[in-house]
Amino acid sequence: MASFASEERQLLHESLHDFLSDRYAFEHQLKLARSEDGCGFGRAEWGQYAEMGWLGVALPESVGGADGGMTELAIVLAAGGHYLALEPLVATLVMGAGAVAEMGSPEQVAKLSDVANGKLILAFCHAEPDAGYARDHVMATAMPDGDGYVLSGSKSFTLHAHAADALIVTGRIGGSSGPVGLFVVPREAPGVVVNRAPALDGRLGAAVTFEGVQLGGDARLGGKDAADGLAVVERLIDRGALAVCAESVGAMAAVTEQTLAYLKTREQFGQALSQFQVLQHRVVDMSVATEEARAMVHAALQAVDDGGPDARHAIWKAKVQTARAARFVGGQSVQLHGGMGMTDELAIGHYYKRLSMNEALFGDAEWYLKQLAADVAA
Amino acid sequence: MFIRSVAHDTTLDAFREEVRAFCEEEMPAEMRLKRTSGQHIEKAEYDLWLKRLGSKGWLTGKWPKEHGGLGWSPAHFLAFCEELGRAGSPPVPPFGTTMAGPVIYTFGTEEQKKQHLPAIMKNDAWWCQGYSEPGAGSDLASLKTKAVRDGDDYVVNGQKIWTSLAHWADWMFCLVRTSTEGKKQQGISFLLIDMKTPGITVRPIIAITLGHHLNEVFFDNVRVPASNLIGEEGKGWTYAKFLLANERVGNVDIAKFEHYLEELKKLLAVTKEGGRPLSEDPAFKRRVAELEVGLAGVKALMADQLAAEREQGGAPTMMGAAALKLRGTELQQGILQGLVDVLGRHGMVYQTDALAPGWNGEPIGPEGSAALVYEHLYRRAATIYGGSSEIQKNIIAKGSLGL
Repeated sequence: MASFASEERQLLHESLHDFLSDRYAFEHQLKLARSEDGCGFGRAEWGQYAEMGWLGVALPESVGGADGGMTELAIVLAAGGHYLALEPLVATLVMGAGAVAEMGSPEQVAKLSDVANGKLILAFCHAEPDAGYARDHVMATAMPDGDGYVLSGSKSFTLHAHAADALIVTGRIGGSSGPVGLFVVPREAPGVVVNRAPALDGRLGAAVTFEGVQLGGDARLGGKDAADGLAVVERLIDRGALAVCAESVGAMAAVTEQTLAYLKTREQFGQALSQFQVLQHRVVDMSVATEEARAMVHAALQAVDDGGPDARHAIWKAKVQTARAARFVGGQSVQLHGGMGMTDELAIGHYYKRLSMNEALFGDAEWYLKQLAADVAA
Repeated sequence: MFIRSVAHDTTLDAFREEVRAFCEEEMPAEMRLKRTSGQHIEKAEYDLWLKRLGSKGWLTGKWPKEHGGLGWSPAHFLAFCEELGRAGSPPVPPFGTTMAGPVIYTFGTEEQKKQHLPAIMKNDAWWCQGYSEPGAGSDLASLKTKAVRDGDDYVVNGQKIWTSLAHWADWMFCLVRTSTEGKKQQGISFLLIDMKTPGITVRPIIAITLGHHLNEVFFDNVRVPASNLIGEEGKGWTYAKFLLANERVGNVDIAKFEHYLEELKKLLAVTKEGGRPLSEDPAFKRRVAELEVGLAGVKALMADQLAAEREQGGAPTMMGAAALKLRGTELQQGILQGLVDVLGRHGMVYQTDALAPGWNGEPIGPEGSAALVYEHLYRRAATIYGGSSEIQKNIIAKGSLGL
């Protein structure tokens, strides 16, 4: 992994915005979200992201990636958040590819070239209905069966699981007290039951149940001698949390900009709303919250890419602050748009719903605060 | 300072029991189920139920006896609304019963009273409120929909927005501009418009809930008999203000807040984290405690309003109504946010299909989740409609603090 120089990061940021501002206007986003094919995102767009090198930005050069780190990936995710991109960036690039990169055998890692070239979409099915945000509560089992395994269990709703080519699924090997294994499961394998549903923000996903799914030995990441995967799962979920924070920062910047523009043009009581000090301070509050979140996310990204021991806490703190900012900025963007903010027609409500989702994905502010509290020295 | 009695009014306990019993016997079972599942109620079944309530005179219980009502006090009316809510009934739509009706019996002619009041009492007519316009939200007085006198008619041109239930309504009470001279408030008139009049187009607005109850209404040379004018030309703003305080208190449905707080506690008990119910989590217990404090605050403000109304003969104070609306809607959003935060553990789905009658699919997460998410999204508007929180603060600033 090699961080990009500032100039390269700037170029990456600009090329993303150039592309998305041109090809991912809100009207287009809505069409993709609600298209008849039922996948809820743009397959063509995914191919374009691959061509632009964005899918491989943080993948090793050996698989066709640019060898960038979490920060480079976050630049892509923030741009996605800015335009409410629907594509499975977090699911595939952070969770799925991350799992393979961390635990996979060389042969399994080599398959990441298909992530870089856009051919392989992944989703990570780990959380279970009784787990809440706890990471170590895994009841799904993977019973050894000859060289392979039989996977059984129910996983909670996961974004993009309905459309992924393969699901990375956790299950305890041999029974409820066994070590956690990570398995690559083709979504269309017999016994994989996909209950597709819309999420709060309109994106699609599924709650997936595995009913005696037969898997070969090569489906297990790292093979039969792989270590207990729980530590990797913890790291992945932390990264997932940071990833949705990066998306949220992009979304908050966009929605604050739009709200400011609205206040300047909307007139009531004979003047633009932007003339009222109460409203000026409100949008200032939105702006400051966004800035603080951005800075904390950046600090966490740096800590992750530096590989230091403080990365975990930096991520948790960034999640707490970004989630709080998202709640405030999203809510106020609706409030300041009045009735218009409550319509499906305007983008504002969609930003509000995306920010609401991102607050909760991979754990919410209260949950991370609780983890930090547990680590506070006596 | 602590002068009036805010003791709980036990004289209404028998009435409450009467309402409960009536709902138990007369409310269609499907309707009660829909309240829990959140499935949308169709016009026909809503109408049937409202007519049953109307047969007891309860739709207009708050009206004075001289106008066909039962002369209920504000506390009596509140008790009725609370018991309806507790029984799982949808609310009585306010547009005819607490808005158009009172304006008609207070300021209307005998003809107008005869034409409209009996129909409102029996729910033979559905009403909608034509107030807001794209350019007139918080600044309602700047409305532009024009009504020009032409012989025995007014010709109406313009557009109203955020019109709840316009797609069901038979009649609209509409604020129109009859003059551009003088202050903007002085050029406003209050006109009753038959929704079947040629030239009216109703266009649905889909909300962030993805549901439809709001509309835009377009008027293209709509001829309205001049006999549909309420009171005098140019006095429309006065008649509208007469209604506003009522609307604000009405937007604080305490029984509903209690219901959602109960739902939160139930949801906490059935949602697990690491295999343990969230109801055991200290952070959530504290959260519930905070919401209970908030609820006690809103109840106390409401009790105060009712005490003031008993003294002042029936109308809520502008001040008290503003504070109640401000704090009540904040609390409402807080309770619903708590619910959604718990639902995040189930993956934050919004199965809108579950809200369509007759859905047979497999719910993800607890039963009734879609209804809770719907309510949470809908009530993001609670701090916007009925006078936004910012406007309520302006009212308190000007009216109470002399700013």
